[in-house]
Amino acid sequence: MIEVQGLSKRYGAQVALDGLDLNVPRGEIFGFVGPNGAGKTTTIRILATLTVPDEGVATIGGVPVTEDPYGVRRLVGYMPDFFGVYDRLTAQEYLEFYAACHEVPRHRRRRVARELLELVDLGDRAGTQVDTLSRGMQQRLCLARALVHDPEVLLLDEPASGLDPRARIEIRELIRELRRMGKTIFVSSHILPELEELCTWVGFIDRGRMVEAGPMDHVRGRVLAGRRLRVELVEPEEVRLLAARDLIQDRRGVIAVEVVDEGLEVTVEEAFPDEQLLTDLVSAGVGVRSFARVTGDLSEAFLRLTAVER
Amino acid sequence: MTWSERLIRLFDNPLVVKDGVSRMRSWRAPFVITLYLGLLGLFGYAFFVLAAIYPQGQRVGAAQVGASTFTALALIQLSLVSLFAPALAAGAISGERERRTLDVLLVSRVTPFGIVWGKLVASVAFMLLLILAALPLFAAVFLFGGIDFQQFVVTQLLTVTTALAMASTSLFCSALFRRTLTSTVVAYGVAFFGLVGTLVGGVMLTVAAYVRTGSLAGPPDAHPLLFANPFYAVNQLINEPSGSPMHIGRLLQLLFALGGPPVQVGPTLEPWQATILVQLVIIVLSLFGAVQLLQGWRPLVPRREEAEPEPAEPPELPEGSRA
Repeated sequence: MIEVQGLSKRYGAQVALDGLDLNVPRGEIFGFVGPNGAGKTTTIRILATLTVPDEGVATIGGVPVTEDPYGVRRLVGYMPDFFGVYDRLTAQEYLEFYAACHEVPRHRRRRVARELLELVDLGDRAGTQVDTLSRGMQQRLCLARALVHDPEVLLLDEPASGLDPRARIEIRELIRELRRMGKTIFVSSHILPELEELCTWVGFIDRGRMVEAGPMDHVRGRVLAGRRLRVELVEPEEVRLLAARDLIQDRRGVIAVEVVDEGLEVTVEEAFPDEQLLTDLVSAGVGVRSFARVTGDLSEAFLRLTAVER
Repeated sequence: MTWSERLIRLFDNPLVVKDGVSRMRSWRAPFVITLYLGLLGLFGYAFFVLAAIYPQGQRVGAAQVGASTFTALALIQLSLVSLFAPALAAGAISGERERRTLDVLLVSRVTPFGIVWGKLVASVAFMLLLILAALPLFAAVFLFGGIDFQQFVVTQLLTVTTALAMASTSLFCSALFRRTLTSTVVAYGVAFFGLVGTLVGGVMLTVAAYVRTGSLAGPPDAHPLLFANPFYAVNQLINEPSGSPMHIGRLLQLLFALGGPPVQVGPTLEPWQATILVQLVIIVLSLFGAVQLLQGWRPLVPRREEAEPEPAEPPELPEGSRA
């Protein structure tokens, strides 16, 4: 759905993008990860037709962003990292205004605005002036604004920045909902655990270059050589932990087992059968209190990748 | 797309409606209208009293009172419009930038020209409202005579084109500068030069030319700078009913300070015609510049004519997704 080849952009002597390549399949949530100044916002601005690249080609749905920006704008909904709202407009009028800007037929605008307000859980705020809404509500309204023309692709630049935990969860659920509606979502964020839970694809950018990209599990597997499980025992004495470790470490597909914080962290190959391990532990009489995949791998992958590059 | 569709699209601009609604909901709108009419009425009445007590001019009796009052009203209206236009337009684009809403607009289907045009129409629409609201004041002058309908219409036309020119240059400043404060200060500077600068400069250059050629050459020809000044144009329109036209050749001769006998070449222009012509050029150049600035001095990307777009249906909401 989104294809980028050899994208380069300089601002004076500073290189923002240096031959960036990426590919996002239709219907995926693509997490775009990188440190500040890596080129995330420049990439999103190029895809949103706001910035012209110096070199390279970017297409959305097969439409080239530089040659046919108006065609791309039909396909894309854009939510910038920082955004403002208008004074003295109600939420309903705000969405109707942007629907008009996207040439939604006049007779549909009111209905589209109402439906979208319901979607982002602001149905009861239709008559409220947008500048009086909370930051989280404004963020949701801004997401609704990006949807007024029913785009196939959403470009979200740090959609959860500056939000409290509750508002972050709401935005995350909303993005999942949009994926279920068939949208392709390109999202950049600094909050890696959230991206990890949300995204199906991930790309790491550093100093204008894509250092790793692909489906989340593949990238995690390639970078970290396996994924991690955490096993906690009902009675976490050292003897029992060591016994359980001995039971686990010789199994096929297990890369390493460590005792960490009164529990076991098991690094396994991507195709390792987790359920079988749990069954075998229980059958062997080990009292298992919890058995879960360890999240936060994305942060570690990010650190490893950027460490290699630097 | 047919021409009629293009014309409809030109005025069916979402920014006009949005800015209009937003502006009229503010307390400033009724305040500005009240202030505008109050000042106009106050000064108009003062000049009416002065004209009644000290009649001056070629007309007699009530006609002179009417003409003097109308002149005063027209010049005050021009001043007020020149004062309000930068305030209304100088923050139009920089304000969007400061509010961080410009990028979102640029990613919509509205073209940079559509944004500039919408902002211009929205600003000028409010000034048109002011001009329309003041019409009854002008109509009162007809009770005294001294002004014909054509003079009335041309005066209002000059006011509207002046408002458009002021708003266009202010919009250009708004696209050029990131900060509304800077944009507003520069826009007022440009307005001051356009009105006071051309008037003072024009008078000085006219006198200088008159002194150089000597009084034997007859009454002095007004310098072209004056022909670009709406105050001069309104004054000439009302107080020189027989007109004060000049050949374009003579205007160019004076503009470039070329010596020799007066050149009587080319069509003649009344001051008001020349003023409107200059203002139209300023409007076109300012709008073009503002559009170019908005799209980052890139070559104009033509909007491709597309096949009839799929109707934009609202997104389908899965069961249970509604609040």
